[in-house]
Amino acid sequence: MGVKKRMSGCVATANAIRLADVDVICSYPIRPYTGIMSELARMVADGELDAEFVLGEGEHGQLSVVYGAAAAGARAFTGSSGVGVMYAMELYSPISGERLPLQMCIADRTLDPPGDFGSEQTDAMCCRDQGWIQGWASTPQEALDISLMYYRIGEDPRVLLPQYACQDGYFVSHILGEVDVPTQAEVKAFLPPYKNHHVLDVKNPMIIGAQIEPQMGPGLQYQRYLAVEGSRKVIEEVHEEFADIFGRKYDPWIEEYMTEGAETVIFIQGGHAETGKTVVRRLRNLGEKVGLVRLRTIRPFPTQQVRECLSRFKAVGVIDNSVSFGIACSAGILLTEVRAAIYDMGDKVKTVGFVAGLGGEMITHDEFYKVFKKLKEVVKTGRVDKESYWLPFEL
Amino acid sequence: MTVPYEKIPFAGTVPSPQKENEGMITGNWRTRRPILDAEKCTSCQLCWISCPDSSINLGSETSSLTFNLKYCKGCGICNEVCPVGAISLVPELDFED
Amino acid sequence: MLEEIKSIKKAPVEEYYVPGHRTCAGCGPALQYRLVAKAAGPNTIFLGPTGCMYVANTSYACGPWATPWMHTQITNGGAVASGVEAAFKAMIRKHKTDAEFPNIIVMAGDGGTSDIGIQALSAAFYRGHNILFICYDNESYANTGIQASPMTPYGAWTTFTPAGPVVPEGKKLMPKDITKIMAHGHPELKYLATASLSYPIDLMNKVRKGLNANGPAFLYIHAPCPKGWSFPADKTVEIGKLAVETGMIQLYELIDGEYKLTYKPTKYKPITEYIKYQGRFSHLQPEHIEKLQQFANQRLKEVGVEVEAPTITT
Repeated sequence: MGVKKRMSGCVATANAIRLADVDVICSYPIRPYTGIMSELARMVADGELDAEFVLGEGEHGQLSVVYGAAAAGARAFTGSSGVGVMYAMELYSPISGERLPLQMCIADRTLDPPGDFGSEQTDAMCCRDQGWIQGWASTPQEALDISLMYYRIGEDPRVLLPQYACQDGYFVSHILGEVDVPTQAEVKAFLPPYKNHHVLDVKNPMIIGAQIEPQMGPGLQYQRYLAVEGSRKVIEEVHEEFADIFGRKYDPWIEEYMTEGAETVIFIQGGHAETGKTVVRRLRNLGEKVGLVRLRTIRPFPTQQVRECLSRFKAVGVIDNSVSFGIACSAGILLTEVRAAIYDMGDKVKTVGFVAGLGGEMITHDEFYKVFKKLKEVVKTGRVDKESYWLPFEL
Repeated sequence: MTVPYEKIPFAGTVPSPQKENEGMITGNWRTRRPILDAEKCTSCQLCWISCPDSSINLGSETSSLTFNLKYCKGCGICNEVCPVGAISLVPELDFED
Repeated sequence: MLEEIKSIKKAPVEEYYVPGHRTCAGCGPALQYRLVAKAAGPNTIFLGPTGCMYVANTSYACGPWATPWMHTQITNGGAVASGVEAAFKAMIRKHKTDAEFPNIIVMAGDGGTSDIGIQALSAAFYRGHNILFICYDNESYANTGIQASPMTPYGAWTTFTPAGPVVPEGKKLMPKDITKIMAHGHPELKYLATASLSYPIDLMNKVRKGLNANGPAFLYIHAPCPKGWSFPADKTVEIGKLAVETGMIQLYELIDGEYKLTYKPTKYKPITEYIKYQGRFSHLQPEHIEKLQQFANQRLKEVGVEVEAPTITT
């Protein structure tokens, strides 16, 4: 049991990084994640954290710096938002392919054009193919907790993969929440020192990243595939260990909220779930059979768990807080992934996609009510007449 | 032929070599072979320091320098830099091996 | 501290760039790599941005360095080296390693230094990391089949600057002078010099001075490329010498804000003596050659050498 304080998602993440005794941090300012770096800079200056605080020249530089640091054997941290996340794109595959378990915190932000500081999950969602562990925190407490868990998962010798610890910009990164900050002793018990199979060490010299011929290509990718798939087991174990040491139990994959006996549920990722939960409570009070399912880990995607969970409901409204123009089914990424996961259930579970909360707008209570109303209609008619709705314009 | 994934080292990382990198043997590139006239050689070591392939082995008090024919590409820089013309380049096909 | 090497005969015998790499026969960059590794010794970590000295050396799934080596993207040699350096600083201070602080050397081509890699290089030097950044200049993007880089000379043929009726000189642009760019405006700079593979002892000692500098050190190494410049593979060292003797390349160090030549030919030869052996200049007309001569004279002037333009003999 640690100390309970009110703090933002940014400050909570910074506390996790401090407790993880990170060695190298690379900063670059971009809203809204900057607060994490400012807090870390203060911690370093005040002697609360002993780390090299490297002033990066840009997001591409940030990821390059921590790539080098992790290869040298140090625990490394960086972060970004919006177009910054895109600028560093070149590095995501090399970092995961070289099996360097550094952590990047993404406080999400809508992409240009034009400039818009508002929250949107698009930036981090664009990175989902790169072989990193990835998930969204919906509260400042969870932001702290996933940063600690992700280092533990990523650095596990069976995994050795980098992680995107995501949180909604402003809604989580800036709004205060109550956070139980663990003690250093608890974290030491939970998170062992970082070790890797390959490090830059003159006593054991290795050549990391030599050019290959295509015949080695499939095998290297398959190794990474096995690592990502193998991480599922580790993710579950680590969540158990976390609960034992810190007393907070999270389902590794999905959080179910008031789903007992529900006929229709919302499937959603990140901080907007908190708003959704309020609407679920109110509808429940009115006797409506509704619930909410929050996706906690998107990579690796919990296909089996999503399948088992959603098979209990009649209609699912999948909320996408990101854009993917031209995607199959014309809604968003989560809709296509959910549909892929529950494909075998055929027509039994109806799914409808809702693109919402873009540009930093809240997903309002009104919008959630409309979603549940639409889902109720789908259950009644047994038909999905339109599979995607862009809120607030359609519906 | 696709290499089986179990045969690929972790992330493709390999140990650094100590004395030679047998992963890329280049002696069979040669069309001309360097030959030393030991009488003329003054052991100035200019050829040795100018070989991009680290393929000249220094002699000693009792022996003259030798060429590492496993790797020598026959570029001929040694022949060019030798100030006394102690190295000549002979067509590779003239040799049995 | 690494000691000065007094002569070729007193040069270290150990090789840290061993035989066995897929570089062209007579490859200039390979020769300078060997000399750099020899000078740096075993307590060295190399970072290799994409380029000939990555692809040709590590084809395939192997490499010739007896020390640790890691690939970086062509964009970020300076940044990755910064991360390695920061890591060792932190780990040593926090007693997370018993390693000694290593030599950290970036071996970047002219493209990875002056073009796509310039941002990361400048930032690393601004931040004052204890690294040695080497630019091996083969005056093109060689590994992709010889394309123009900002350090390709005026008048050079490359596949992106071919000579033709519309563009008789081939490359119209004068090259960047990355060494002078690095020499000014980076307050943390500790050592800066130019070198050539044709002057190996000078090169190796400059490597050692850079590594001893305990801060950011920049070393430009001129590395002739037989394939890219179209000259026979055995002429690499000679072409390198001619570059210096015609003034196209100047060997100097930056000492207390001033350029001090470390080698000066007694008399400078006209640049025709240099370009006549290289196929990449064979299309040049007298007016282009004159421009190139002016360029060489200007560069010499910048390091304090006034020359009378030697007569161009056609």
